[in-house]
Amino acid sequence: MAIPILITGCGVVSAIGRNKAETLDALLNNRSGVGPLVYLKTEHKEFPVGEVKMSDEEMRKHLNINDKAITTRTALMGMMALDEALKDACLTPDMLPEVGFISGTTVGGMDMSEQFYLDYVNNEKHKEYIAVHDCGSCSEMTAEHFGSFAFITTLSTACSSAANAIILGANMLRRGEANIVVVGGSECITKFHLNGFNSLMILDTKPCRPFDATRAGLNLGEGAAYLVLETEESAKRRGVKAQAILSGYGNACDAFHQTASSPDGEGAYRAMKEALELADIQPDEIDYINAHGTGTPNNDLSESHAVMRLFGDNIPPMSSTKPFTGHTTSASGSIEAVFCILALQHGFVPANLNWSQPMDDGIAPVYQSVKKELKHVLCNAFGFGGNDSSLLISRVAEPVSEPVKGGEGIVPSISASTSPATIYVLSAQQISIQQPLCEDWMTKPVEYQTSFNRSIDPSFKEYVSPIEARRMGKILKRALATSKEAIKASGLESIDAIITGTGYGCIENTEVFLNALSKEGEQMLSPTSFMQSTHNTISSLVAIQLKNHGYNVTYAHKGISFDSAVQDAMLQMQLGKINSALVGGHDEMTETFYNILKKGSVMGQDEEMCGEAAMSVVLSTEKRDSLCKLVNFKMLHKPSMDTLKAVAKDFQADYVLTGISGNHKSDEAYLNECKDLFGNSILLKYKHLFGESFTSSGIGMYVAAHCLKAGNIPAHLFVNKDETKGKKPHKILIFNHTDGNNYSLTLLEA
Amino acid sequence: MDELIYKLKQQIIEALNLEDMKPEDIDDNASLFGEGLGLDSIDALELIVMMEKNYGIKLQDPAQGKEIFKSVAVMADFIAKNRTK
Repeated sequence: MAIPILITGCGVVSAIGRNKAETLDALLNNRSGVGPLVYLKTEHKEFPVGEVKMSDEEMRKHLNINDKAITTRTALMGMMALDEALKDACLTPDMLPEVGFISGTTVGGMDMSEQFYLDYVNNEKHKEYIAVHDCGSCSEMTAEHFGSFAFITTLSTACSSAANAIILGANMLRRGEANIVVVGGSECITKFHLNGFNSLMILDTKPCRPFDATRAGLNLGEGAAYLVLETEESAKRRGVKAQAILSGYGNACDAFHQTASSPDGEGAYRAMKEALELADIQPDEIDYINAHGTGTPNNDLSESHAVMRLFGDNIPPMSSTKPFTGHTTSASGSIEAVFCILALQHGFVPANLNWSQPMDDGIAPVYQSVKKELKHVLCNAFGFGGNDSSLLISRVAEPVSEPVKGGEGIVPSISASTSPATIYVLSAQQISIQQPLCEDWMTKPVEYQTSFNRSIDPSFKEYVSPIEARRMGKILKRALATSKEAIKASGLESIDAIITGTGYGCIENTEVFLNALSKEGEQMLSPTSFMQSTHNTISSLVAIQLKNHGYNVTYAHKGISFDSAVQDAMLQMQLGKINSALVGGHDEMTETFYNILKKGSVMGQDEEMCGEAAMSVVLSTEKRDSLCKLVNFKMLHKPSMDTLKAVAKDFQADYVLTGISGNHKSDEAYLNECKDLFGNSILLKYKHLFGESFTSSGIGMYVAAHCLKAGNIPAHLFVNKDETKGKKPHKILIFNHTDGNNYSLTLLEA
Repeated sequence: MDELIYKLKQQIIEALNLEDMKPEDIDDNASLFGEGLGLDSIDALELIVMMEKNYGIKLQDPAQGKEIFKSVAVMADFIAKNRTK
């Protein structure tokens, strides 16, 4: 591993404690937090759960948040864990503008949406909660309670979300994109996913028993945990000590099924193997595995097989801590990483509670807490769709460096990124309402009009068989079609990674499930609409179709979801981990959700913007017959004008592709901002043709890339008609400022 | 029985959203899962919900589905014997 990744602080909240001290005590004393339902209002009292033992009101009080402030349970738990992590790492609010925040969640603000859904549809009540439905808002609320972070993004890969947030943070440190990042995840129990898991028939009415012959499903849990990752140099400078080292990590896709793990645990095996290889550690050096171990018949068998394949006859002590906390879903990767840090620091293996009978053909876990010196531990987190990740955490052998008293403060780092590897945009494809799967818009532009009538979509039969299409919403079909077309046009035979950005994910199925839940109650709900509602369905479905086991993640952070995906692809290439990536930006909209989001002032303030985008690009380090080069990229959260101006200097281009639609109320302010930042550039627009969505910056990349390839910019893209006799494009900057708080700048060169 | 089988085929097509398929396309005795129609575990769960909604039959263990969903004929036989509505 190139540079050591220090963990200089952490914080945790779960059913077994509101902080690290309570958590450690419960782990050492085998005290489970799973029990009857108390806080969630649901009919399903038959299922034991691992709730955080505080009501929303108690959390607000604890955090000094007033009763009127808009917040969600996921954000509240996140704030509690983040509070402890920041204090633990001696990070004060004044340092945060140099620190990144990366969080994982899938539920986001669903606890509020499921309570108020019928109000959102029918009246004006509770409409102030509409804006916090999505995952990105949840992360921003959590972070902004403490100050202003340099950048914020959100991973949503179901139950491995937090683990993937940790991996992204570590990669950013290794690439020198940051010196300190706070990473992890948060997720509260909701009726939505309790019923969803129930419809999949994987909840146990008894306390869960991972790896036991009688295991019959999982118990849901909730909680949050954040880790502070830091470079050695920064920790030295600040005079803080490492609590543990993140020595390795791996991410792979099982590419088998949307909800089931493969019999041989291919994704899990690859993720663990990659973590060991990155750390340069042999399997026999691993002292403990914190298993994903959900307690479902399928997961535990599949995970056992993956471990047996990798470790042979020398399987290290292994346990699942889910009987303590329940399955904390998106937060489990970081919560269990904190358990591993505590285990390393205090020398013990946590117990796999409730275990008594060995399962056939599986591993036998450690069922009583054991005192044991630990040096290296693996922590597994696997998600729906086969998004499997594994973290390798190591004890600090000797103090990495003597802490310097009164250190010199934080290193002002996060510099504009420059890439040593040249990255090419090999191909780009999109489907939108007026512009289906072709480049006709260059010569025959059609102004965008809102339409929820999908008759314009291609039939998709070319891309997916009727039997495969049976549970695909329009977002999935469009994702498959653009992905397959982009790969075909790239000329590549295989792709190393699949990375997707989506602001709101699979809205169509979310609506179906929410509707049934609100109107018909909590019985006989369709498992299909639940399992196709998670954000990572898109990326994992593409992986399943392409049988692709490579790196696979999904970003869900408002208007920078696609941009976050691009950033990750660039990082992976610059670190030499991959040579090619399929990067997608996908959002769909329904008429009901469009009206809801309009009511919540989230979007749709102008009639012509309906919030759909489907686009895929193939990025590669190999030149081939590429469209253009991707030469620079930067993401910023609420930057000061000075910061923005300084960054803009690195991104000068002959053309700037703006998000101006031509009819938008905010066009004038946007236009002035662009003129201020890029006075010498010619301004272009594209949303009047393609509409606006949370992932429209992806469409921006598609448009810019094709203009650079053609060596010509169509007259209908110019903001100012007088400039149309401009020069041949050499560099186009895609300037994305869609949601008020977040900016991204992407520079393409011919 | 034939009437139930035909209705059941319509309900399966609707519950599983089998585009482009008509009741006539499904053989009474062909396997629904694996080599036959190519359905999977999620479809089995949808069929469980469908049976509960339309015939008032509640399966507690998804594993029971393996036997019951062998073919439309087997399924119809089970429904005829166990329906509560």
